[in-house]
Amino acid sequence: MIGQISLVWKFRYFWLSLVKLDLKTRYRRSILGIGWSLLNPILMTIVFCLLFSTWQQNKDWKSFAPFFLAGLSIWEFIRSSTLSGCQTFFRNEAYIRQCPLPLAIYPLRTVLGTLIHFMIALGVLLLLISVFTEADHWRAVKMIPVIFPSLVLLIIFCWALSVISGFLTVFFQDSQHLLEVFFQIFFFLTPIMYDNQLLVDRHLKLLATGSPVVIFFDLIREPLLSGNAPPLWLFTKGVIVTFAAMLGALAVIRWLEKKLIFHL
Amino acid sequence: MAKIELNNIDLTFSIRQTRKITLKEWLVQGIFWNNPAKKIHALKTMSITLQDGDRLGVIGHNGAGKSTLLKLMAGIYPPTNGSRNVEGNICSLCVISLGFEPDASGWDNIRYRAYLQGETPATLKGKIQSIAEFSELGDFLNIPVRYYSAGMLIRLAFSIASAVEPEILLIDEVLAVGDLAFQIKARKRMEQMMSKASLLVTISHDLQAICELCNRAIWIDHGAIRLEGDVRKVVEAYRQCATNSPGLHTAAA
Repeated sequence: MIGQISLVWKFRYFWLSLVKLDLKTRYRRSILGIGWSLLNPILMTIVFCLLFSTWQQNKDWKSFAPFFLAGLSIWEFIRSSTLSGCQTFFRNEAYIRQCPLPLAIYPLRTVLGTLIHFMIALGVLLLLISVFTEADHWRAVKMIPVIFPSLVLLIIFCWALSVISGFLTVFFQDSQHLLEVFFQIFFFLTPIMYDNQLLVDRHLKLLATGSPVVIFFDLIREPLLSGNAPPLWLFTKGVIVTFAAMLGALAVIRWLEKKLIFHL
Repeated sequence: MAKIELNNIDLTFSIRQTRKITLKEWLVQGIFWNNPAKKIHALKTMSITLQDGDRLGVIGHNGAGKSTLLKLMAGIYPPTNGSRNVEGNICSLCVISLGFEPDASGWDNIRYRAYLQGETPATLKGKIQSIAEFSELGDFLNIPVRYYSAGMLIRLAFSIASAVEPEILLIDEVLAVGDLAFQIKARKRMEQMMSKASLLVTISHDLQAICELCNRAIWIDHGAIRLEGDVRKVVEAYRQCATNSPGLHTAAA
């Protein structure tokens, strides 16, 4: 275990340079460059705000826009880490066939790639909140140190998901498709477009409190929007969820790492 | 101090006759699903111990398990049974033409591959120029590897792979590297590496080359060691068998 981690660290130049390459190739051909990944969440937010402001007249779109964008970016980070995690071992097959490095490296490449997009979306979000908050323009920015530990937890959580989905896809070829369906369904069952209270009112309390995504919403979205630090028990919950996912991923690695090469 | 120790190694592949099973099928059939995978016993209870100074030639028919054995030594295939114990850093020249990032330039690919071999930016700094020079690719190194010809790719791959000074060198079927001029150069480089490495394992069908390079040999037949010992003795037995009964020893299982 410790040996594995030190190997991952020893070969950091390898996977870090591949992350850099992924970014470079993705943005090389567009004039807007990295701006493209800004555009997606911004457009989504605008569309939803327009929709909701005409549907529900009482909705204040100035507070709704950051709310939606925050939920959407966290959701997207989790979703894209899991789904691009599906292809991670196939994409890196040539390296796996050449060098017996710890397999945990390849999901790391995937997650760090999606992390960049999440960071960009987060930047837009901070700007949006700062502009829309009338009282204290720096409130969201001041919250960065508060949400930082939660962000670290979220990254570990996404890495774990991407490990699990990666192994799953190697052994069952339809996993990616099923996961896409799963995420599609849960997009509507997760309080991204509506408030958590809605689920509780509809007797779906388990979805409102049990889902790991909601925990990360409460740990990251809430402080940014309200300016209040999350209670310690909530953070403990986040730690527990992250550790459970991480232990799951490590168990999968331990169980299947030596079998993977025969199934590629 | 380099060492390779294989104790009663077994390696079994499970090959699926048809396509992969889907998660849906698996969930539905669950416990009733009996595994239709076919087992292929690629290596059968092998024990090999190699130490400093050993130069081992591996010979045998196509499909005997020579390359599989090499990959197992390199740590890519974990053994199904038995233990593998290796000391010293390994360089394996097996499938070197794989594993390029097609969208990245030749220079960048040198870096990725070198980092994969355990280099750091600091150690690579002194080497990258000589790797580039050895490949003789010049300005082509600035364009994406996607546009390289097969010969150019193998030049680049060989130049990077051979830039390390390994203690253990594993070579599969001495590669036909590029054009004639480069082949001569590559052969020279390989000879240099072989003389520096403290342990060498090589697979070849060129029995003459095996006799010149190696001091020990094993003859693998259908996944098991048929004969091992002094290189001349093993090569002679193999040659006799192959000429006396052509076809018999190649009848794959």
